[in-house]
Amino acid sequence: MSELLDLAQAAVEAAQAAGADCCDAYCSDSTEVSVEVENSSINYCATVRDQGLSVRAYRNGGQGFATVQQLSLESARECARRAVEMAKAAHPDPDFVRLPDPGEVEEVPELFDEELAGLDAGAFVQWCARGIEEAHAVADDAIVQGGAGVGWGDSALASSTGIAVARRGSSAGISFFVIVNRDGDVGTYFEQDMARRLADLEPEGIGEQAARDALDQLSSRPVPTARVPIILGPLATMTLVGSVIGAADADGVQRNRRWLAGREGEEIASRLLTVREEPLVPAGLRSSEYDGEGVPREPRRLIDAGVLTTYLHNSYTAHKADVEPTGHASRSGYSSSVGIGPSNLQVVPGEKTEAELISGVDEGIYAAYAGIAPNSVTGEVSTTIDFGFRIENGELTTPLSTTLIGSTGEELLGGIDGISSDYREEPGIILPSMRIASVQVASEG
Amino acid sequence: MRELIDDILSEATKRGADFADLRVTEGEGTSVAVEDGQADRIASSKISGAGLRVLVDGSWGFAPTNTVTRRELRRCLDDALAMARAASDHVTDPGMVAEMEPVEATVEAEAQIDPRDVSLADRVQRIFEIEQVARERDDRVVNCNASYRDGAGSLIVANTFGTFIEQEAIRCAVTLMTTAQSGNVRQFAHESEARPGGYEIIEGIDPDEWAGSVADRALALLDAVPAPAGKFDVIIDPRVCGLLVHEAFGHNAEADAVWAGESILAGKEGTQVCSELVTIADDPTIEGCNGSFRYDHEGVPARRHEIIQDGVLEGYLHSLETAARMGLEPNGCARAQNHQNEPIVRMSNTFIEAGDEALEEMMAETDGGLLLKGGYWGYVFTARGQFTCNVENAWTIENGEPAQHLRNASFAGLTLEMLSRVDMVGDEVSFDLGGMCGKGGQRMAVDAGGPYLRIRDVVVGGQQQTGRGE
Repeated sequence: MSELLDLAQAAVEAAQAAGADCCDAYCSDSTEVSVEVENSSINYCATVRDQGLSVRAYRNGGQGFATVQQLSLESARECARRAVEMAKAAHPDPDFVRLPDPGEVEEVPELFDEELAGLDAGAFVQWCARGIEEAHAVADDAIVQGGAGVGWGDSALASSTGIAVARRGSSAGISFFVIVNRDGDVGTYFEQDMARRLADLEPEGIGEQAARDALDQLSSRPVPTARVPIILGPLATMTLVGSVIGAADADGVQRNRRWLAGREGEEIASRLLTVREEPLVPAGLRSSEYDGEGVPREPRRLIDAGVLTTYLHNSYTAHKADVEPTGHASRSGYSSSVGIGPSNLQVVPGEKTEAELISGVDEGIYAAYAGIAPNSVTGEVSTTIDFGFRIENGELTTPLSTTLIGSTGEELLGGIDGISSDYREEPGIILPSMRIASVQVASEG
Repeated sequence: MRELIDDILSEATKRGADFADLRVTEGEGTSVAVEDGQADRIASSKISGAGLRVLVDGSWGFAPTNTVTRRELRRCLDDALAMARAASDHVTDPGMVAEMEPVEATVEAEAQIDPRDVSLADRVQRIFEIEQVARERDDRVVNCNASYRDGAGSLIVANTFGTFIEQEAIRCAVTLMTTAQSGNVRQFAHESEARPGGYEIIEGIDPDEWAGSVADRALALLDAVPAPAGKFDVIIDPRVCGLLVHEAFGHNAEADAVWAGESILAGKEGTQVCSELVTIADDPTIEGCNGSFRYDHEGVPARRHEIIQDGVLEGYLHSLETAARMGLEPNGCARAQNHQNEPIVRMSNTFIEAGDEALEEMMAETDGGLLLKGGYWGYVFTARGQFTCNVENAWTIENGEPAQHLRNASFAGLTLEMLSRVDMVGDEVSFDLGGMCGKGGQRMAVDAGGPYLRIRDVVVGGQQQTGRGE
């Protein structure tokens, strides 16, 4: 890791020498090993090593950004010079003040698991072979797709303001998508598991669960076009909540292209909804001690009893709004510039179980998986319930075919009248189900 | 480079590979972002690397590198062979490739003006002017975001059949998103021009007309009302037609989905699968489209593919592997996002052929229906054939004319049922959906289009309950 940090610092020095007012450099060296399953057969194995570096340089507030897919002193310096050349061509930006100063960073434990990083492809092949067997034990005509993989790597960030941080991380995932086709009646579903530590990953049962859920999707039917209550399962909750928090990014808000502009400190949802961000959970999927600019992250309530407590800031938007950075600068790798995004999201569970929420619905919809994500600009949503069930007399009955909803973020969030006490948990992430009082549904029924 | 590539492929064969291919790429690009009157984010990228794929006893292994040296390519070969052998005991459906005659070719970039010959200051100024037109269109325009990007590079494709193709490529693109606001209503419109070619693409844009129309579309949506929910007869424009043919249908015609049991078209070759008014093709040889190319990334020459002829399924889009599995000739449809990904089956420029109806006639016969224009996004679950398409605009149709302007509409259904309910096909095709398609974690340049279509009994997901099906 120290070599990567040395390289990042060399790039910073080169950018300063080339005329940058301030700058930062990020580099990473990662490896990913994956196994792919197609048509119920192990089909393909790959090992992908990716190395690269990027430099962000500023002149009079104008930003130049440059990337290179090499990790050498020569390429780092060349990349730095290019970034400064870009910055010189950019318009001045008076809203840019400076990059963040170093802060106290407390290490989050267990973001890297040596045992997991040391696995060879044979282990993933075994996981996948077992997943196929599990699915076939449930339905011998099941067609299984999916795969498994592990990634690990090092990254380093240095800046002209003195930030010099490095970290090592690992992750693993397994997923199966199962298809059952009975004379043209097709049921499909998926299941997955992800973790940063081998001990947290549970490959067993993924293929079996996906196959059982696929069978449950057979004989799907339309429902009546009507306004009805909708219960979002944990994965549908994740999509809705994730998109709402995504629309609270301060850059989009400040530039007037977010539907949550002007809503900070206001009630945007039912008082039942509280969303915590917990970036420091040991081994959390999206945990990190510092953000993409090196600003320390900290836990906070992003939505507290329905109130949007804060926008998500990086250093640029924080200075523009005259507030402290909130630690939400994001980098998805060396090849992309700095954006804004949250870490681990946890929806605070409610009092009734999911089953109790369902039992209280005479006629409605259960959305197991659906892209119910209000558009980040308009706040409107018109989309399909991809996998779900009709609710009749308090019970899940037939799976859905061609069923859409039309709504707005305002209506969906304001209409939450129940959050389940039971939930799906991934490392660092908590996803209960939620009930929305009334939503317009369209179908062929 | 040729000697190095030949040596690595030769060694792959000696070490047990039944087939191997190597793609070596190098390129550079520039992007400019202009937002709210400031070109304050400019980026430069350099990419380089190679991806090596081997097939050993029916098992595939793949390993890329960002550093193209003999040592690194040999490391890739070690890794790719190890990967293939790691899985070989569990391969129940062995991989294979279709034999092909070796191709040797050199392809030069088709660009009149190399963007690298245009000063960065001039490129910035041009995008600034485009953004400025939209920004100054109306006080209700609250945000404009224009971005420009160019890329130039080379790609070598070589394999153990003896194929060696070196392709140069230049691409330019500009996109514009304009947001307008009135009270609590905030709406946006988006447009892009993207295709293989040089800076002449950018110079060919009339900022007043092009950027002005994007702003006008966003402004017009401020007065639209939320769309109704229910079942309607709809007329879709060429852009929505492109979205439908690409998302709902095209992904089902990719032969990797067919082989994997994920396509509703499996086993239906030669049968009537939809309305006889529908003819669908995919053609990477069309000049000026975003998905055009000369050779795919397995070294197979590009050619037109007939997929549906008068409602009858004619064939699929193939890679070397899927062609071998089905005992057919490869037809040049495998592409990879970059050297870090393996080639997979992709569409290019996918479209429905023209029919013989004038739009006016279609509108006149669709009273009470909806006109849907401007495709935003779409996706499909191919195994079920269930798709969703989201559109920018809709109008009610009254007395043969667009009447009430509507917003926030999607439509969905089962692909083949939907295409079976096409009963009017417009007389003019246009390609208007150039963009990037995501599949298997890879993004690829594609295009899509078609004529106006009328489709009966379509479920539209809106916010007001006024459609049939109440």
